Amino acid sequence: MEEKGGNQHIRRFGPYRIVEHLALIVIFLVLAMTGLPQKFYHLGISQSVIVILGGIDNLRLLHHLSAMLFIGLAAEHVIVNFVGVTFMDWEPSMLVTLKDAQDSFQNVRYYLGLTHEPAGCGRYTYKEKGIYWFVLIGSVQMIITGLVLWFPVAFTRYLPGIFVPLSKMVHTSEAMLIFMLVVTWHIYDSMLNPDVFPINKSIFTGYIGTRQMKRLHPMESATLREEGSADQVDRSIPV
Amino acid sequence: MKRSKGIVAAALVLSLAIGPACGVNQGFAQEEPCAVLNRECLACHGRDDAVKKFADGSVVKTYIDSQSFAKSVHASLSCHDCHQDFTVTSHPERSFRSRLQYRTVESRRCRQCHPDDVIGARSIHETLLRKEKSGEAIICTNCHSAHMMSRVGAGSAAKSETKHCLACHSREKVKKFVNGETVSTFVTPGDILNSPHKDIGCTDCHSDFSSARHPDNRYGSEREYRHSSAGMCRRCHYDKYAMVAENIHNAMLSAGRLDAPTCVDCHGTHSISSLGNDRLSIVRKCAACHKEVYSAYSRSVHGGALFNGNNRDVAICTDCHTSHNMQAISSIDFHDDIPDRCSNCHSNPVIMGKYGLSTDVVKTYLSDFHGMTLSLYRKETWKHYGPPPAMAVCTDCHGTHDIARVSGSDIGQMKIKLMKRCASCHPGASENFPDAWLSHYRPSFGVAPMVFITEQFYRIMLPLTITGILFLVLLDIWRYFRSR
Repeated sequence: MEEKGGNQHIRRFGPYRIVEHLALIVIFLVLAMTGLPQKFYHLGISQSVIVILGGIDNLRLLHHLSAMLFIGLAAEHVIVNFVGVTFMDWEPSMLVTLKDAQDSFQNVRYYLGLTHEPAGCGRYTYKEKGIYWFVLIGSVQMIITGLVLWFPVAFTRYLPGIFVPLSKMVHTSEAMLIFMLVVTWHIYDSMLNPDVFPINKSIFTGYIGTRQMKRLHPMESATLREEGSADQVDRSIPV
Repeated sequence: MKRSKGIVAAALVLSLAIGPACGVNQGFAQEEPCAVLNRECLACHGRDDAVKKFADGSVVKTYIDSQSFAKSVHASLSCHDCHQDFTVTSHPERSFRSRLQYRTVESRRCRQCHPDDVIGARSIHETLLRKEKSGEAIICTNCHSAHMMSRVGAGSAAKSETKHCLACHSREKVKKFVNGETVSTFVTPGDILNSPHKDIGCTDCHSDFSSARHPDNRYGSEREYRHSSAGMCRRCHYDKYAMVAENIHNAMLSAGRLDAPTCVDCHGTHSISSLGNDRLSIVRKCAACHKEVYSAYSRSVHGGALFNGNNRDVAICTDCHTSHNMQAISSIDFHDDIPDRCSNCHSNPVIMGKYGLSTDVVKTYLSDFHGMTLSLYRKETWKHYGPPPAMAVCTDCHGTHDIARVSGSDIGQMKIKLMKRCASCHPGASENFPDAWLSHYRPSFGVAPMVFITEQFYRIMLPLTITGILFLVLLDIWRYFRSR
């Protein structure tokens, strides 16, 4: 892959990751669009959304349908990657390691002006890992509490009734936290960040420029160079 | 009766010189000419033993009560202004066949000042004028009296009309209906005088009747007659009538149920009452038909306080059902309005403060699943989406007429009851299920501590995380440009 100025393109994501991410965007947006008006139901804009989508019952139906897709996506992600990493020798590149702690410490020093070198990160930066695990754990919380709210009668056969209001509290608060985290950090990191502005397209196209690769993921870039092939698809890509 | 005195003649000359109508010349002479003339007439007409005889033997008293005359609307006129043939010096002897003929002739004098087109504007006069054309005589003094004339409605004219009607209606008689039922036509004058209608006359309500007209209206039954009376009330109380036209009782009537109540069934007939402040009476009026509801209400926390302590704060029938536009309780609109009805009192801190009750009940309801859903249903234009399903409202858990006190009741019993109520919409609800509802409490360390701690955790975490991230973003941008 050749681009003007000699900036080669390296394949970073296979179609599996691209489709998975696209599916997550769509489902996340539908869940947010049908969930937030329920939390802030007294606002005029929420009521407009509710009316446009055919009333609160239809809105809940849409929320439940997209929740089912979300549960499917989350289950698929966990199972496929667990099997891949455990039995198929995929690189566990999302696992948090000591290196991430060191990188974050290095970056604190960098921000404070104590060093001129930012942390040299591997395939995923400690920031990307942070948001990944935050969203993954949050999703498990959302799925469990969401199911309690969806089937309160069934759950209260085995659990005390208080778990219903507790689930509601966790579900709505955690949703806000994840939503705010995604719209602030993820949007900044992959779109507004001066390094990638206007957008880091690698998760959509599957390719990343070598310069950007070197700047954003210097360690992985070095590994690929050592192996002698920029075209070689990285080992964590299962498809 | 003829008298002649020098002083009177002088006064008369003076009065004629000033003008024919004394009333407009007041304050001209030292003593008002009218007063002088009237006093001269009263020298004889102030005696209450004199009468005038008519050809048929009937008589009329010639006595004039000067004090009553002074209070009448004609107080500023002289005797001569109406009795124009008579002056101090001239008192012609006239003969009449009867008292009736005399009064008919005298009534013509009234109409010199009160022309037909002016008096004809009132329906009662219009009817009389129409009758006059067909040969019946109009006698103004029948209603307005002779020397104490006043406007109808100001009291005495109505009294005079009432007197006319009571001539017959103070006797025990009955009106028969086609089906054989009867109703007493006896009217106790005190009933009206003690009612808000004390200043209006019989024909103001019974408008197709007058001293000259008494139609024999025929009704199939007593109920039919009662319902026809609503038309009388409508003439003045149109606002109430319009509400009644939309209510459930009227819908029953339209369906042929003559037992449906009408105005007089609640408000009474001649002893009419607005019932406004008498809350106990209102409940008893409804109880006349709604006996089972009444007995359930008597056992409720509201009814108990009303009957035992005459508590004026507790809800009575009309507070929830309204007094005139009561709707069918089976309608979804009525059901969905219930939280509003309860909140009229239960979110009023002044009323609730007296009894140590929380005003949070409505807010906590509205912020939870049922209240939120219901408030959204009510905003939806359900023409587009079809009627929404019923959502649990206050009465679905607390009951309707037999609402019981919550504090101090047996918690175990209450939970079993509540579980049954939950299960009616949530089939299979277990005994844990009602605990999903925090019983109108806001989470705190005492109530639902787990929920409270979670709430506080996120209340701190959310702003802290977002502020931290925004700080990091700014730091990142700043460092990027600094290191370039």
